[in-house]
Amino acid sequence: MLLECMMNGHAILYTGVTLAFWSTILIVGLCYTIFDLGFRFDVAWFLTETSPFMWANLGIGLAISLSVVGAAWGIYITGSSILGGGVKAPRIKTKNLVSIIFCEAVAIYGIIMAIVISNMAENFSGTTPESIGARNYQAGYSMFGAGLTVGFSNLFCGICVGIVGSGAALADAQNGSLFVKILIVEIFGSAIGLFGVIVAILQVK
Amino acid sequence: MTLSCFTSREQRFAEEGEMAESRCSSRVRLMAFLALLFALFSTGDSVAQVPLLMWSSDGLPALASTAAGHITSKEQLAAYLSSAFKSGPHTVLLFLQDKLSKDDFTVFGGVFGNKQDGAFGNLEAALHSSSSVMFPALEWLDSSAIPALLQEKLGVSPLLVDADTLPHLSINTSASNLLIINLPYCTSFGKSCKEVLHDNDGIIGKVLSVMKDKNVLYTAIYTGLKPSRVISEASLSVHPAGRSLLQAVVPEVKPPIMFNVSGNPCVMLWAQNLNISLTGETAWIDLAAQVPSLTGSTCNSSNSLLVLTYSSGYILSNTLLLISSFAMSQRFYPVSARNWFTLDSVQLQANGQTSSFTGSRNIYAPAEYSFHCQSVTSFRDILLVANKTNPSPLWRLNFIDFQIQGFGLANGTNFSYASDCAGFFTPGIWMGLLTGLLFLWIFVYGLHMIMQLNTMDRFDDPKGPSISVPQSE
Repeated sequence: MLLECMMNGHAILYTGVTLAFWSTILIVGLCYTIFDLGFRFDVAWFLTETSPFMWANLGIGLAISLSVVGAAWGIYITGSSILGGGVKAPRIKTKNLVSIIFCEAVAIYGIIMAIVISNMAENFSGTTPESIGARNYQAGYSMFGAGLTVGFSNLFCGICVGIVGSGAALADAQNGSLFVKILIVEIFGSAIGLFGVIVAILQVK
Repeated sequence: MTLSCFTSREQRFAEEGEMAESRCSSRVRLMAFLALLFALFSTGDSVAQVPLLMWSSDGLPALASTAAGHITSKEQLAAYLSSAFKSGPHTVLLFLQDKLSKDDFTVFGGVFGNKQDGAFGNLEAALHSSSSVMFPALEWLDSSAIPALLQEKLGVSPLLVDADTLPHLSINTSASNLLIINLPYCTSFGKSCKEVLHDNDGIIGKVLSVMKDKNVLYTAIYTGLKPSRVISEASLSVHPAGRSLLQAVVPEVKPPIMFNVSGNPCVMLWAQNLNISLTGETAWIDLAAQVPSLTGSTCNSSNSLLVLTYSSGYILSNTLLLISSFAMSQRFYPVSARNWFTLDSVQLQANGQTSSFTGSRNIYAPAEYSFHCQSVTSFRDILLVANKTNPSPLWRLNFIDFQIQGFGLANGTNFSYASDCAGFFTPGIWMGLLTGLLFLWIFVYGLHMIMQLNTMDRFDDPKGPSISVPQSE
């Protein structure tokens, strides 16, 4: 009976993992509280003891990878629509490649930002928080933030452009005059990716 | 049951014809071994014991059977002899072997079913034919106990005889007689033990037959001057029963350095080693091995200072006075809403020069607790940062197993809970966990997406013609 209540195996797995995660957090937190060891939970210690290099490189990695995920998702959606619609209306093929290019642009934003950010990562000398200095920490966190910014904004931009492009392709297949209007929607969608890039550059300046 | 079988071995000398042999022989070896083991490992004190066999041609009073392993005391023997010799004169033959133990009967008595190899044939016959009693274990304290006791009971002095002179001896039966026949025991050279005992047995037989010829009623006692085997165990008081740790005794831990204010400790410091060395030299001086004086130390609710003055000249060849001071302060931190104390500075002063180290960045703990760290150094995993001086700092510090507390000492001479410098996870572990879990999450997300891709089945038509792929061009 319990199995019927569950949706499928995935749901059981995810429920289990989430439950394990939150119960670990809860029990650890409870133990810290009971034994008056709350002072050991020190976010400042974590932020100053972990290396700024980790944060910088996480930012770089996330910048390119999340952008590529967005681009890929968008192309997958648009591409399947173009291919499907092109069976009955082959004329849409050439025009709708523009949608694909808008998606690809998102990936290009990501790789450019990744290269720009990684060029700013330099060696520093210092092993203790004092000798590392505030500027290095700031650099690390800025790069992480910039990478997150550009990555997530490109991710959603790519998905957005993809879905719009897919709709455009199918609409074009039905009625050729619709395409140009829908392209405007796609341009707006593409702009948000650009916003992310601009903000990221401001972050790492 | 096993032990009664053991004692019945002695009784088999007297009670022949028992089928006990076949019953017990298979278990006798095991019992003998167990008895030996028991005797070896019993925690009781061992008492030297000697068996005593007594038989008489004119009847002996009955002896209450005792528990196995019971050691008859001299008083009990004396009481029995009194009851045996109370009426009329008795002739007592005392066969006094140099050494005798129960084990001699076990080893040489042919008790394992090999009666024909036994060395005590005449003895067994005598015990069987006369009324006899046995004291398997008689407390033995000195050699002359038995002869002296018999002398006392009978009221006559003993007469030493042997088998050859006895036939020529006339025995006056109207008075008590005590005849002692000395029998040798085995020596390491010469005849084997069995032969010696067999010869003794022959002497016993000869003497008894002489007595029989003379028609004299006798009481014979066969015993030893001293036991031939004494298994001594350690006494109970030396090794107390119970379990004890086998590892080496843990050495006494020295007490911490305590600065007292109005009777109670206010600042406490403990370290296994307080090593200092001059920069550039390799020799370490352990300050913890010496007893410092604490003059100059102060302690109040917001600042504590512990000043250790070492005034021995042998620390360094040209140092008369070495002063190390530990300065701590505590205050309220609003973000965490509790009081924390920090070890602000450690100063080392010698020869007018001072080296100062700052520890407030790394050595801290909540004010109620003590701070503990396995390794507090100024040059490796630095916790004590040397203040910048024009020449490089004069000293290097290396404190091992360091624990300090300057506030909140209300618990007598015990440190409060020790907030350790080492946490559960190191920063590296945290970094690895963060990136690893992130990767894992991304992977699971992608896996989930892929696994929910399905083949399109919108245009499946089970009733229509199936796809045919032509094999030829």
